This record gives sequence, C-alpha cells and structure tokens, in this order.
Amino acid sequence: MSQSGTITAPAAAGGTRPGVRWGSLAMLVLRSVFLVALFGIALASPGFLSTANLMAMMTSAAFVGCVAIGMTLITVGGNIMSFSLGATVSATTLVFVGALLAWGILPAILVSLLFGMLVALAQGLVIGWFGANPIVVSIAAFALIIGIAPWSTAGTSLFLPAGAGQEVLRGKLLGLPIEFILLIGLAVLGQFLLSFTVFGRNLLMVGSSRWAAEAAGIRAWRTVAGSYLWAGLFAAVAGMLLASRYSKGNMDYGATFDYDAITAVIVGGTAIQGGRGSILRTMIGVLVIEVTRVVLLLNGFRQEWQYLISGVIILSVILLQTTVARK
Amino acid sequence: MSAILSVDRISKSFGAVAALQDVSLTLQAGEIRALCGENGAGKSTLVKILMGIERPDTGSIAIDGTSVAIRSPSQAQALGLAQVAQELSVIPSLSVLDNIWLGSAQVPLLHRRRAFRQRAQDALARIGAGHYDLDRQAGTLSIGECQMVEIARLMVRDARVLILDEPTATLSDTEIEAIFAAVRALKAEGRSIIYITHRMGEVFSLCDSVSVFRNGRHIVTKPVDDVDRAGLIEMMLGRSFEDMYLCRQQGATGRPALAVENLGVPGVVHGFSMTVPRGRLVCIAGQVGSGAHTVLRALAGLELATGRVSVDDRPLRLNSAPRARAQGIHFISENRAAEGIFGRMSVADNVIATRLPAASRLGLLSWPRLRREAARLIRDAGVDERRLGSMIGDLSGGNQQKILFGRAIGQTPGVLLMNEPTRGVDVGARAEIYRLMRSFCEQGFGLVMTSTDLEEIVGVADIVLTIYRGRLIGRYEKEAITMNAILTDITHPPALTRNGINEAAAAS
Repeated sequence: MSQSGTITAPAAAGGTRPGVRWGSLAMLVLRSVFLVALFGIALASPGFLSTANLMAMMTSAAFVGCVAIGMTLITVGGNIMSFSLGATVSATTLVFVGALLAWGILPAILVSLLFGMLVALAQGLVIGWFGANPIVVSIAAFALIIGIAPWSTAGTSLFLPAGAGQEVLRGKLLGLPIEFILLIGLAVLGQFLLSFTVFGRNLLMVGSSRWAAEAAGIRAWRTVAGSYLWAGLFAAVAGMLLASRYSKGNMDYGATFDYDAITAVIVGGTAIQGGRGSILRTMIGVLVIEVTRVVLLLNGFRQEWQYLISGVIILSVILLQTTVARK
Repeated sequence: MSAILSVDRISKSFGAVAALQDVSLTLQAGEIRALCGENGAGKSTLVKILMGIERPDTGSIAIDGTSVAIRSPSQAQALGLAQVAQELSVIPSLSVLDNIWLGSAQVPLLHRRRAFRQRAQDALARIGAGHYDLDRQAGTLSIGECQMVEIARLMVRDARVLILDEPTATLSDTEIEAIFAAVRALKAEGRSIIYITHRMGEVFSLCDSVSVFRNGRHIVTKPVDDVDRAGLIEMMLGRSFEDMYLCRQQGATGRPALAVENLGVPGVVHGFSMTVPRGRLVCIAGQVGSGAHTVLRALAGLELATGRVSVDDRPLRLNSAPRARAQGIHFISENRAAEGIFGRMSVADNVIATRLPAASRLGLLSWPRLRREAARLIRDAGVDERRLGSMIGDLSGGNQQKILFGRAIGQTPGVLLMNEPTRGVDVGARAEIYRLMRSFCEQGFGLVMTSTDLEEIVGVADIVLTIYRGRLIGRYEKEAITMNAILTDITHPPALTRNGINEAAAAS
C-alpha cells in the first residue's frame, strides 16, 4: 500500500538516512503481525464467518468508513482532527428523514448532501480564512449542531414509515450491502481526489507546510475549506445511509463516529501533522477497528472492552510512529 | 600550550556511507579553530561524536591526555564539551536566568538562590553582556542576544571546549561583533572554541587555525596565517577554483521586468522604489532588520503593503501571494525549512509544486507529464536525477535550494525574488546557485536578491541598492559597487540627499 505522498517510490539506496529503511521495515513487520494475529483470532471466533455477521460488519463499517474518508482529508490538510463530523452525521439523519417525508427521495438526497457540505464548509472557512484552531472550531460546531438540529426538526428523533423511499439506500447489490458498495465507491473517489487532482496535491502541500504552500502561491484557505466541504459530503452520505437502514433519524446515531474515524485514520498511518496519508490505508484502519469490535462482541466482552482495546491500539500506533520517527 | 582535546583516528559509517574516515585532530587550550568544508564533508558528524549524540565506529578521543568514551550528551557536558546549536535552544517562555541554568547538572531543586544569579551575571559580564536583565523573558530577545545567553549557559557549565555551529548566519553586523567579542573573551580565559562557518571572512578575522574537511576526511589543519582565501576554497572543494562569482552582464536591456514605486510596509519599509531591468541581478544590501527581506516578501504578496508595482508593465495588485505568482513573480524565502520546501514530501513533489495547474485539465492531473517535468527540472537545476524520489529533507541545503530554483525553470521569464539565497549553502553549491541565477538572467528574468553577506553582494550584483531602516539609501552599478560604500550606507548612512537617494552610482 503506497503512501500517496510521493510521486515515485523512494530511491532504493540513494541517500535516505540510515535507520529509516529499518524503521519502516520494522513498522511493516509489526503491522503485518498485528493484522495476522487479529484475523487469526477473528477466524477462530465462533460465528465470525457467518453470512449474517459479515453482512452486518460491512454495513456498520460503511457508516464509520464514510466519516473516516472525510477525516483523512481534513487530517492530510494539516488540521489534525474534527470532533463535529459525528454530529453532522446525526443531524443529517434528521434532515434526510424530514426532507424525505416532505419532498421524496431525490430532493432528500440533495438536501442532505447540501446540508452536510454547508455545515462543514462553514467550519473550513473559519479555519482556513481566519486561521482558527481546528479542534476548537470543531468542538464549537459540535455544540451548535446538537443544539440547533433537534430544535429545527422538532425532536431528537424522527421516524420513517415503510415505503417512504428509503429502500433505495439499503438492501443489496450484487449480494453485498448497498452501504458497503457505496463505501468502496467513496473510498476510491477520496483516493482519486488525493492522488489525481490539483486539489488533492494542494491539500498534501498545505498539510506538509502551510507557509511554504502560501509562499508558492497556493490559496491555502481555499484548499482547507475544500477538504472540509468534501468531509461534510461524506458525513452526509453516512447520515443518509443510517437513516435509511434504521428508518429513523436520531441525534445519537453518530455519537461515537468521530472517535472511531480518528482511530481508523491513525491506525491507517496517516501522519497526524498532515502532509501524508491515504484513504486506502484509512480503510484498513476501519477494517481493523470493525473486526476488533466484532471479535470482542462475539467473545462476549462488553462495550467497555472495545474502548479499552482501541485506546491501546491508538497509543501503540502513536508510540511506534514516534519511536520510528526519532530513529 | 597543551592539547585539551585530541581525536585519534576516528571513523564513522552510516550503513554503506562513510561519514568520517580516519580523522585525527588536536585542539590546544585557548585556540579558536575553524572547521570548514562543504555540507556532507563530515563536520557535523564529528560534532555529534564529540557531543555524545553518535558513537564512533573506531578511534579514540582524549581530553587532557586521558582517553574518554563519550556515551551521552550529559557525559559530554560533564567532560567540558558543549555546543551552541544552529537551531537555538533558548526557551522563549523562561527568563534569561532560567535559560542560563537550563539543563545544567549542577542545578539543585531550588535554584533561584543568590549564588546562581551571581554566577549567571558573571558569565554574561565576561562575554560583554553584563547589561542583560536576568529576569527578562527570553522570548523578547533578538537571535543574537539568545546566542549570547546560550554562550553564557555553556560558561556556567564550565565548558572548556565550545562548539559554535554557524553562529552568525542570521545576525546583523553589530550582533556579529558581539559574538566575536564573546568568542575572544572565551579564548582569553583559556577555553577552546571549534567554530563552524561557511563564511570565509570569519575564518580569517576570528580564528587561529583552520581544519578543512572533505568527503569525510580531514584534509589539513593550518594556522590561518599560512592559508589564503583561494587556497582554502580549493582545499574544501578539492579542485582549483577560479571564480565563484560570474562576471557581470553588460549590454542593453529592454523593458523593465519589475517596477516598484513607493512601496510601504507599515513600520518596516518606507517609500521604497526600484526598477529591475530584464536580465539583471539587483541586490538589496541591508542589515538584519533593515527591511530588505520585507521588501521582497511584500512584492511576493506575503506582507500587507502599499505602493505601485508593475510586472512587465502590467500593474500588480499587492497583498496576495497567488496573484503575485500568477503574474510571474517567483519567491525564494529566507526561511527555507518553514517557507520553502515541503519537508515531508519528495524531491519530485517539491519541484512541481507550483505547476500543477499547468499540467492538469479540469483539475485532473496528468502524472506521466508531471513525472517527465519533474525529471527535467531537477536535471536542469543541477541535482542528481536519482534523487527524484528522496525526501527533500534528506538533501543538503544547497540541493534543497536548487530544487526551489527549479520551480521557476522553463517558466515564462518573469521576476525571481530571493531572500538570502545562499544561507546554509556550502561553497561548492553556492557557485552552482550563482550559475543558476545567471541562466535566469539570460532567459530574461529580472532578479532581485537580498543578502547580509557583503562579499557575496559585491561578487554577484549588477546593481546594488542599499537599505537602512526601511529606506532606500544608495544605488550603485559597475565600478561603484564597493564593499566600503555599501557598508557605510547600511550601517551609518550619510545624510539623505534632497531626493532621498544617494546617487553615488555611475550614470546609465
């Protein structure tokens, strides 16, 4: 899996600092061992390979996965993390249900996407233009969203009657959950943005060094705002999928998504300081946390354990990264 | 005199790369020793070994004739070896006093005792900085003052061998004088100094002896009286070296590439005007803080400025870097690490950073085209093509700078603005950078650079403008460009003449 940060593979010998190659090799070995162990345990867990379980996993991976794609873009652009994407997802479930009841499926999809994009874009502009701290802005946005959204839709949950049109966004395609197919599509889109568009390259540069990017004539604020715009779009998709799956809009749906998406981004190996990362790697991160969750569940551990384990995973990844970087 | 430090047959390899081979040196008490060599010659590896950051593969080190093994920085400190790092290690939020005692092994838990204040005060006084307020917050000090605090720190630790790594690279003349005085005071106390510098002038004016390194080997150590400038450069490069600077362009020029009228940056630059002809290199000479850097930053759209500027007779709207870029202004920052390179990206990514829109359609990139472009650019910039995939942070300062120049290669001739283009660049790469500048001149670019290195200015400039406290003082061309005239202007300018400009320059 290549970091999309560079055009060419690192030169075989040419001048890379000694220790770096060993460091990344050690990381690779550790990662592989971890993955093999995780999947070994998964396969040994009773019921892991059952169709029902696999289908359920794919579906729930899709919800977090969509958010994680946006989170990756934001992080690559040098803005560390957002704590408001989960709230955006939740609010979108309400917007989607409301719009669906009022106008039907197509307008509902459009309105939902627009809503997610606007909410995130507003944050992106504040961060990009005024140089505000991204974490603080996202926390403020989080509070605003959970404060305003239920009030404007008159309630923290809204129900969809059967046959309202939400069936389009659930069910199966080619024998797989439609959510999962969409996730793959969005991941490919995200990676494409990052690797093959001017926007994506600019985002990597702004994340690598905002001042160098500005001195080179890149409109950094616009690039940053763009990354939020896309993140909002991806979060809105997650919101629509959730609302369709459960025929309900609910402000609690996205509660843990920020945390899970951040875990996926970090486990995937996107640089926390920005400038490097890839959506495909984040998808591996999503897979890891999803499998971990299911394995714990199947083996009868309670939810607290899930938090504990993902905390341990994040910490060890960060410790590994910093020790390798220091080498 | 006796040898305080002797290094015997030290070698150190990183993987297959031999960073130091069989290096032996002795340093006497009270000696100021210059360490010269291109980047990658092995100077910093030697320093790291002395500071206990790296361990030698073979060889031994003796202090006062006793063989020692330096395993850690704290051990180096205990042995009396200390370094003033290139990146300053003064903590801005702490007081001068705290910074002086920072990291010292002697500090007890409660250290605001009178004796510690007194010793810190003493140390400062001995290097001519007795007037510093011990309780002042270090963040309010200038870079030069921070360096004095660092030197004082090494003195209270009673360092006997002090290593100074390019201490003057970012200082103004008066601050440089203060550092020199401090170094001489240290010498007078019998301490020894290892002084690393790329500036030839400092070797001859400050140091007693000079050790030249090349490709990881110690080439020679001589008293400075036994070498001359040209000889020293030849020893560093390992080949004869006729003229680092290329001869001046003569010949007529067409339209001006850049015209600046009444440029102002509040509090820094006042009513600065200049015309930059195509194919010429204009140097703005001024001390640190004179506003020279700010002039170029403002033209690049990175400072809020007022004034009338036109590029190629088209008016330029100020205060936007993207607009400046779009109108053909290329800017090379004085701060390469923060504002030049993208440190976590590859050489290829760095060189094509500014031409993505040109290699795309509807925002979609053409990778084959970008790859070809990147390869061509770094070849033209004079960097080994095999470096294309390396992280740019792994390259030497000179190669990084060439990559930044590479961004402008092959573009429609416009304006190239360079702040301190050879800072942190070794002698060999400097010559190549001057050559790159000339090739930009030949293509019809108008070039403007600032430099605090007067020798460089006199060597490369077609036209010299002097600036003092944000105001244009003089304009010189051809024979009128002399070190003396420039130095006078930028330190104690003559009273401004009627029109505000000291027209000492030859006509034309």
